[in-house]
Amino acid sequence: MIVEEKKKTLWGELRKGFITTNPLLVLMVGLCSALAISTRVENCIFMGLAVIFVLTCSNVIISLIRNFIPDQVRIPIYIVVIASFVTIVDLTLKTIPAVYERLGVWIPLIVVNCIILARAEGYASSAKVSHALMDGLGIGMGYTTVLLIMSVFRELFGTGKIVLFDKTIINLHIKAVPVILIMFPGAFITFALLSALLQWYQARKKPGTEEG
Amino acid sequence: MMRHVLNLGLRLFLVCAVAAAGLGFTYSLVKDRIAQEEAKRRARAAEAVLSSIPAQPEESEELTALLQPDFPDLITVFEGLDEAGRRAGYAFVLKSKGYNFITMAVGVDLEGKVTGIKAVTNEETPGLGAVALDSEEYLAKFQGKGPEPLTLKVDVDAWTGATFTSKGIANGVNMALEMWKRLQEGGGV
Repeated sequence: MIVEEKKKTLWGELRKGFITTNPLLVLMVGLCSALAISTRVENCIFMGLAVIFVLTCSNVIISLIRNFIPDQVRIPIYIVVIASFVTIVDLTLKTIPAVYERLGVWIPLIVVNCIILARAEGYASSAKVSHALMDGLGIGMGYTTVLLIMSVFRELFGTGKIVLFDKTIINLHIKAVPVILIMFPGAFITFALLSALLQWYQARKKPGTEEG
Repeated sequence: MMRHVLNLGLRLFLVCAVAAAGLGFTYSLVKDRIAQEEAKRRARAAEAVLSSIPAQPEESEELTALLQPDFPDLITVFEGLDEAGRRAGYAFVLKSKGYNFITMAVGVDLEGKVTGIKAVTNEETPGLGAVALDSEEYLAKFQGKGPEPLTLKVDVDAWTGATFTSKGIANGVNMALEMWKRLQEGGGV
């Protein structure tokens, strides 16, 4: 929250999504789908793009109509806006079967991705349109970055190679891989390591601010 | 008070109306493409389930119209034709209830033996049912069954953790076998 009290610049709104208010590692929202799909790099690319699109669009629309939305029914309105954009993504992806076959089951999950609702409620509903746009892009890219880091780690060490669009990009040529990495416990382990790493980095950067 | 409630309702209604209009518009743009892709996917699945005979599938509106009144879950029937153009089997594309709905193609040869199964759409639970439905090894276990309806856990084992999906597949196969029987009795047109 300290960040948001400073003078807001567009660049700052975009950048904060990566570290200071990273949705996954700092705000800890939207974890369910992130843990589930980060088994493959390919899935994460598409999921990241879809989330960036939905998050940016819903942020902009909600910011545009923020004075029109009555307080008592704001949540249903957010859900309607978000669900509409998700359905648009869903319909559009259906025309690209190769992608839809891999990603189809995860798309509806974007509706319940708490990141989007959290940004609508906590940010876009009281921000200027331009800020909401940058926030959507920044948070979306922050989310995607973490997904990519997690999935590269999990796929590479969990299966020994990275397969992207049916091509093997990296092959470690090791037989005994820790398969647990691509199973559910592996998601938690990877996520915890990343989260710890970020905490450590931030604590080191500004010593003393963590205690107090 | 009354006015307040009306005001809330009206605003919510407006947002929903705009959203609905937007979605309707998007759907009208993509619906033809989606229908085409689905038809292609069905044809590919039909080809796959008949490849063991081997036979080329050809969609038959006649047979579909004949069976659909009694089998509402049937989507379409493909006739499998061998090289000489004679009928060698059928591929039934049908819906079956798994944990969600499964759309699958079931190939049946003239003796009423299952020649292959393939999922057309897989909306089962990722990691559980979806794995069973995607597993060629598991689906191959149904191959060669029939013409008598099969019983799950007797003729074919259920997939651990995916009982509903296994049941859905078995029911779909039985439905296909029943349709095959109907076609035989009806003289096969």
